[in-house]
Amino acid sequence: MKLRIFCAIMCLCAPAMAWEEYFTFEKIPSPAGIDPQVGAMETMKDGRIAVAFHRGELMIFDPKTQAWSLFASGLQEPLGMLIEDEKNILVMQRAELTRIKDVDGDGSADEYETVYDDFGMSGNYHEFSYGPVRDKEGNLYVVLGIASNGAPMRDEIRGKFSEIGKANREQMSSYPNWKNNKGKAERMYARVEWRGWVMKISPDGKVEPYASGLRSPNGIGFDAKGRLLITDNQGDWRPTSPLYEIKKGGFYGHPASLIWTPGWDGTDPYAMDVKKLEEMQSPPVGFFPQGELANSPTWPVVIPKGAMPDAFTNQTLIGEMNQPNLVRVLEDEVDGVFQTALVEVFGGKALGIGNNRIAFGNDGSIYVGKTALSWAGEKGIVRVKWKGESFFTLEKVKATPSGFDLTFTDEVDQATLSTITIKSNTYNYNKAYGSPKVDVTPMPVKKSELTEKGRVIRIDIGGLKEGYLHAIDLTGLRSKNGKLLMGNKAWYQAIKAPK
Amino acid sequence: MKYFLVLFSFSALAYAEKPNGEQLFTLNCAACHLPDQMVVGPSLVEIRSLYLNKPDDFVKWCVAPQKKRPNAVDMPSMVHVGDEGLRLVYDHIMKVSAGLKEVKQQKGDPYAASPVQAKRPQIQRIFMPNAGPAAIAVALDEQLSLCWDAGECRFRYVWTGGFIDGYPYWQGNGSSLAKIVGSVRYTEKSSPFHNMSEVHFSGYRVEKGLPILRYQVGAKKITETFSALPNAGGFTRTFTIHPTPTADLILDFSTEDKVEFSSDKGKWSDSKLTLKAADSGSFTITTTFK
Repeated sequence: MKLRIFCAIMCLCAPAMAWEEYFTFEKIPSPAGIDPQVGAMETMKDGRIAVAFHRGELMIFDPKTQAWSLFASGLQEPLGMLIEDEKNILVMQRAELTRIKDVDGDGSADEYETVYDDFGMSGNYHEFSYGPVRDKEGNLYVVLGIASNGAPMRDEIRGKFSEIGKANREQMSSYPNWKNNKGKAERMYARVEWRGWVMKISPDGKVEPYASGLRSPNGIGFDAKGRLLITDNQGDWRPTSPLYEIKKGGFYGHPASLIWTPGWDGTDPYAMDVKKLEEMQSPPVGFFPQGELANSPTWPVVIPKGAMPDAFTNQTLIGEMNQPNLVRVLEDEVDGVFQTALVEVFGGKALGIGNNRIAFGNDGSIYVGKTALSWAGEKGIVRVKWKGESFFTLEKVKATPSGFDLTFTDEVDQATLSTITIKSNTYNYNKAYGSPKVDVTPMPVKKSELTEKGRVIRIDIGGLKEGYLHAIDLTGLRSKNGKLLMGNKAWYQAIKAPK
Repeated sequence: MKYFLVLFSFSALAYAEKPNGEQLFTLNCAACHLPDQMVVGPSLVEIRSLYLNKPDDFVKWCVAPQKKRPNAVDMPSMVHVGDEGLRLVYDHIMKVSAGLKEVKQQKGDPYAASPVQAKRPQIQRIFMPNAGPAAIAVALDEQLSLCWDAGECRFRYVWTGGFIDGYPYWQGNGSSLAKIVGSVRYTEKSSPFHNMSEVHFSGYRVEKGLPILRYQVGAKKITETFSALPNAGGFTRTFTIHPTPTADLILDFSTEDKVEFSSDKGKWSDSKLTLKAADSGSFTITTTFK
């Protein structure tokens, strides 16, 4: 009885998370005079960190000397990087995928070779370009963001204009009348080629439109099992920020890009029945609940051995712009369907917001590059280093016919099992900007028991709801030795419920 | 004792179900709204002055925000917070902003003196006025700069006086163009390769800070380089074409701008240059400002 009171008090006080107990957080000195908004960041083979900044400088940070050197400059909004070797770095700029080469080997670039620029640009600020990532066969993937009706198209554009839409070419570029035309343009638009598409570039330079339906996909990467993941941002047709597994030919929910589907019959996707669009789309494999976990998720990376406790090795880590945390992906598979639980990492005061890009140093350091681009965010780089001590956290979430098996890194205090609560909700899929939670339903825990030497909690809630996000609140849970749970809520998206 | 327990459990439940205004504010608003200065959105001080005693208007705005400030990004809808939650946020904002004063912000580009940007010559890709969206700005030296369009694979214009002010673009997310520092002296109306049908940009090599631009027109591979004449008096352009054309090449530089053309090869008739096939593999044109 006394324990129960104690628990209730603990819940009330909402004990502060202390990631600082297990990790150090340290700001890296930014290069002198440079706007340190990080657009792209990767680790070189020798452990130096290559960073591309907002104003186009590509600089290299040597963790040993703490010194910066300039590799390249003049890039426009680099938002992705792939290091081929120390003399060749691929960078995605607004206008093109560029191979930046240091031909003479003096440590600074002398050649900017255009690898791929055969896509449209309307001149709208929101047409950001992301990537590249490379699969095992050597194919590159880039993804092209779509335009926002926060501004029109420019008079001069690159590439073809699609006539499909309520506003014509002239109306789409009219600055003086934009107030009247912007509604016709729709909240987000893709009137130039391949906006909203993932493009696949084969080693011989052949380009293939790979998947459509993306909106503001500021995160693309392969997970440890070779799945191509993309994060997108809450907005129109995005009830809350989604995580997608991208497959060839897939349509990922935002209709604007459909007009570029090869063989498209000219139908305005915005005039289509929402139900039809919903049937066409491949559902997200995870949802980041807005205002709780992430509002603007960023780049997915694979956690290498040594950067975090072993249980995390090969899991996917994702950045986040608005909330002061990163997000960890706990993968699950039901009848061959990949779906995930998402958990907060580093929440609290130490990390801060604007967490745009993540790179791992050769010593296991986690470099978090920040940006804002006038939205919510910060600047510079924070280096996070694990102190080497294991901690109490969720290792795995497995859907079962009755509920969940939750695996933890440490033995769980049996007496705290009763504090677990689970709620489910779904969202509206439509043109509205974001969606409130729909059909929020408590899913009473009928039974919870500890198995596997006290490290697995088997929860019976009478089964999962397909198409629903399950919020598993573990705030009150403690380890057997009284430790708080690091990352104390998990959001499981059940595309498929096990039978 | 039992009564106490029930009360506590209830409170704990209430806590889990209904976060308070401060928590909602931290999760949904704090990233963009500081207490006493504008960052992404207006400060709490300003919000107070706009919405004091108008909670309904506040909720209305949060559910369906409009574009209000030309230089700020649009606020996303906070519909997910819910009416009740937004009223709690409202109460929190009114409480914490009481008695605070707005801190004045510094104006101008804090990175104007960037050592990388200040270097000459300089190459910078950025949205430029009167060019396609794949523009490249090049400072040939301290006084003379040009805009080259990587979308259309052609030179657009040259100006004297300085380089660019990229701050309108860089201070935000790219919704504004860079500004030209100085005045435009010569604008090229179309590509001199007037039969340009299929063009393809290949990138550029950098030599002594200047770009050697590479592109393809049909099957021809072209390079184009620029250099400034002394005292911003004009500029030279050197082209190479590979394979060398097999017929005479006629290049049209028609313009109303006050410039004079000359070249190391070929013959001029007004603004048209005729090059013999044998001369057209490599040639230099000098444009002098009148």
